[in-house]
Amino acid sequence: MIKTVFFTVITLVFFYIIWINNIFAPHERYEMPAQYAKIADDVKSYAKEGKQLFEQNCQSCHSVRYDAVYIASVQANPKLKTLQEKYGKVLPRNVYESVFHEDLMSLKESFGKVPPDLSTIYIVKGKEYLYNFILDPQKVLPGTSMPAVMTGRPEETAKIIAYLKSVAEPSPEEKGKRVLMGVGTIAYLIVMGVLLWIYRGRILKRMGLH
Amino acid sequence: MLSRIGRWIDERAHLSDLWRSQMVDYKVPKNLTFPYVFGVFALVAFAIQIISGIFLTMYYQPNVHTAFDSANYTIMKEVPFMWLIRHVHAAGANFFLAVVYLHIFTGIYYNAYKKPRELTWIVGWVIYFVLLVTALTGYLLPWGQLSYWGMVVTAEIPTAIDSAPIIGKLKIGETVSIWMKGGYEIGQITLGRFFGLHIWLLPLILLVLVGIHLYLVRAAGISNPEGREIDKKKEGVPFHPYMTLKEGAYVMGYLAVFFFFVFFYMHHFLPPDNYDPADPFKTPAHIAPEWYLLAYYTIFRSIPDKFLGFVAFNLTLVFLLILPFLDFSPIKSARNRPLFFIMFIILVISSMALTILGTMPPTPTNAMLGLIFTAGLFAFFLSLPIISIIEWGWYKAKGGDKQ
Repeated sequence: MIKTVFFTVITLVFFYIIWINNIFAPHERYEMPAQYAKIADDVKSYAKEGKQLFEQNCQSCHSVRYDAVYIASVQANPKLKTLQEKYGKVLPRNVYESVFHEDLMSLKESFGKVPPDLSTIYIVKGKEYLYNFILDPQKVLPGTSMPAVMTGRPEETAKIIAYLKSVAEPSPEEKGKRVLMGVGTIAYLIVMGVLLWIYRGRILKRMGLH
Repeated sequence: MLSRIGRWIDERAHLSDLWRSQMVDYKVPKNLTFPYVFGVFALVAFAIQIISGIFLTMYYQPNVHTAFDSANYTIMKEVPFMWLIRHVHAAGANFFLAVVYLHIFTGIYYNAYKKPRELTWIVGWVIYFVLLVTALTGYLLPWGQLSYWGMVVTAEIPTAIDSAPIIGKLKIGETVSIWMKGGYEIGQITLGRFFGLHIWLLPLILLVLVGIHLYLVRAAGISNPEGREIDKKKEGVPFHPYMTLKEGAYVMGYLAVFFFFVFFYMHHFLPPDNYDPADPFKTPAHIAPEWYLLAYYTIFRSIPDKFLGFVAFNLTLVFLLILPFLDFSPIKSARNRPLFFIMFIILVISSMALTILGTMPPTPTNAMLGLIFTAGLFAFFLSLPIISIIEWGWYKAKGGDKQ
């Protein structure tokens, strides 16, 4: 009995540390004021506004390809439309990068590297990092070529983050559906497990094996 | 009508005879404990991987330019329900390896590798090894930062051979490393061959090996927690329905836990850093292999000499393989072997500690701890022959097999 408890506990603790919350691994933490965190999380109300802010402040260098938002010079290029008719709104990365190679290279000339596409950046960095980085790039990542465009505009920054979140993550309705599906699946499996167990008990009784 | 069709087929294929002889007349010990179910869990996990993998191949593109987008846009956003399939496949890989580890430790605890089951153990070891390679090749496919840099580090490991005194001159390590990558850097060729291996060759090998493993389990009989061979006619219970329903109920519980992770906690299985496309010019801050390789990685990392580290972690794998021959004691199961039980606890704690240490930064303290736990791990394997000799003494003193 004591052995069972020992091995069960040690296994569960091990997987908790490895899979869920590794208290030993280093974590970088960034702070974000609660009022702006709320804006950044509220995709439903602010994503649209955030997209406009993104177009005004970020689009000259950054694309969000998964939302069919390309850098400003590409967006103004009539070629884009013909390409989108052929390949769909979200262009394949190699098509985009080869057709608009010159636009990307001119950005590379000014900044030292092609500014990254921001389609999945929300998942990679999280809202706290993005908030601090966009407001003051040099403080978070010294030496970066990202200019301090949004300094002193925390609310608008939060709205842009809400937009990036809306592109990277599934929409709130979709998330709701997934939760429902998950609860349904798990409930089904548990009920089936219990029913099987009861059925087994009855059959074994009849066979005299209990 | 249906039953008539069933009878028609059965008269020709004799399926009900097969069912009766293999499932009902097949007797198993009644006292099997809960950990025996991990073998079934592994089988279920394998089936899940194959089914979800087939669907993923339909939309994934093994091309350095489009691999990332096909995984993160086409699969995760464009095609309905493919996100679910990807979640299942990613979480499934981790669950598969977790269950296989638990299965291995169960086998060690109950000494399921001893005569007449040595071959079952050895085939199981090969399954484990092929599984690690499958996981490794699959990890590169999403072509994110972690995939890419994880593989950069892994492909460096064989070059440790080149720092050896004499064989190092032959540059075997470099050759192996280039052979793994298909060139001097990780690129299209690497992705192409890893894709081919991951979806065709390795799963087929696994399928065959799992078949052999199951056959061997049947041929040699299931081991017993009490550590003795049971008289099946007297003590055995029919596999169906006694075992099938019990394991079926447990499988439902396992799937419930699995789907909890699939729907609500994918943070570890699809880590955020891997949503960053692979960039050969941007080295991430922390590069470490996946958790199932971390114990080996820590052994490799904590030993100051590169070549010795390489030898040490390979030796661990070899020790696992030859376990049935290291442990030649006539007594089976940790229940009857106090010395073995103590060493088993040392093994469990050392391997868990080594895994956790792998996630921590390589400070001198951690390297020291790594060395201590490596010693613990080796102590388990090396103590087995000594324990066996002692236990042969006890066994003879008690009258050997006459009791």
